[in-house]
Amino acid sequence: MSSEQDFKPLVVAFCCNWCSYAGADLAGTSRIQYPPNVRIIRVMCSGRVDPQFILRAFEKGADGVLVAGCHPGDCHYLKGNLYARRRVILLKRLLETIGIEPERLRLEWISASEGGKLAEVIHSFVKELEKLGPNPLKEVVK
Amino acid sequence: MGAVRIACEWLGICSGCEIAILDLHEGILPILEKVEFVHIPVLVDVKEIPEADVGIISGCIENEDNIEVAKEMREKCKIIVALGSCACFGGIPGLRNLYTREEVLEKAYVTTKSTVNPDRVFPRKDVLELQEYVKPLNQVIKVDYYIPGCPPPSDLIGSVLTALLEGKEPQLPTNTVCDECPLQKERKAIPEIRRWCVDGRPEPDKCILEQGFICLGPVTRAGCGAKCPSIGVPCRGCMGPTDRVIDQGAKMISALGSIWMLDEELEIPPEEYDKLAEQLYDPVGMLYRFTLPSSLIPRKIMKK
Ligand code: SF4
Ligand code: SF4
Ligand code: SF4
Repeated sequence: MSSEQDFKPLVVAFCCNWCSYAGADLAGTSRIQYPPNVRIIRVMCSGRVDPQFILRAFEKGADGVLVAGCHPGDCHYLKGNLYARRRVILLKRLLETIGIEPERLRLEWISASEGGKLAEVIHSFVKELEKLGPNPLKEVVK
Repeated sequence: MGAVRIACEWLGICSGCEIAILDLHEGILPILEKVEFVHIPVLVDVKEIPEADVGIISGCIENEDNIEVAKEMREKCKIIVALGSCACFGGIPGLRNLYTREEVLEKAYVTTKSTVNPDRVFPRKDVLELQEYVKPLNQVIKVDYYIPGCPPPSDLIGSVLTALLEGKEPQLPTNTVCDECPLQKERKAIPEIRRWCVDGRPEPDKCILEQGFICLGPVTRAGCGAKCPSIGVPCRGCMGPTDRVIDQGAKMISALGSIWMLDEELEIPPEEYDKLAEQLYDPVGMLYRFTLPSSLIPRKIMKK
């Protein structure tokens, strides 16, 4: 039995190449500390994050999924981040209906210069997930 | 060459799939010249399943009996074909995966309006133990070929059976319902998501999705001739996902994300997200009507 204290949430973070991934790089080169619970997947644009990827991440056991893109208006492809936002909004609604806390899915705008914000976001997300506990899907036997 | 022996079985069904076979009408005659139906409960009540070349199974897995029959069919038949969306994906009965078994039994045997059961009599568990959740056939046995649809289009059944009789590999269409749909597409964005018939009706001749009503055409396998949109009804996705789609509902959310214009403005405060999301009424019923048990999240996760 794992207690709440030993629970280390696993976060899958989809970061766009132009802003959020660059932000993560900056966090790295600036030696900003953030929890090691996160697995960053670089995508060209947050608009490329197919909702199937997100459900797949939950199905494979992620406790939380972060979609990070450029701030509205700054998208390298103009509107990809807005597409991502619409998808996340609708997907949260689906998650709620199917019994997965919608808070496990987060959308954040992180620019290339916001290495500090990236670290903060991961900090607060991990905290929130610690409270929520493990992804309940892990116990579903297909 | 002797006649090809075909055995049919039905599991958790409504029997629409069997009627779809009979709906081949005279199209069944050339097939009948080459085959012998050695077992077909919809027509002849025989209990023993004989050996056969092809086994056609309709219906989902919902009780113990279904599992036993499916396994016996797999042993007795060289080729297994899943017929209909219940067998292929779990189908309409799969929507019960949103509830616990106890809730389902309570609803069916006690609280439905047409039921009078003051003594709370339930079916005996040793007769037909209901499974906790509905599953598609391929989660219980290996399936060789699929004929999706609820019910499957008769000509698709005919073409798959004919291919098998000729020793060819049966093929399903790989394009989408949109590709076969006659309605006019303008590549237009939608200001809001609307409920069909509740928030109005689509104008005829124009793409239903582009008028704001959810139509699963973009993520659904072709093969029905776009039956529903052709008469002004949105596609509900009964043919299931195409080969390139893993999860029909998630892919539809992706498609909606491409056309749902929330943003003439760039800043939507996060507090408004939930309100906007309410435009998607009954997400599982709209997006997974036929495929919940075979989707990435196959059932509702119940709070302990
Ligand atoms: S697929 Fe449709 S027609 Fe066939 S058994 Fe299921 S509900 Fe009935
Ligand atoms: S009405 Fe539906 S099936 Fe027809 S083109 Fe539009 S989305 Fe596709
Ligand atoms: S249009 Fe859609 S719901 Fe209607 S028969 Fe075809 S696949 Fe099924």
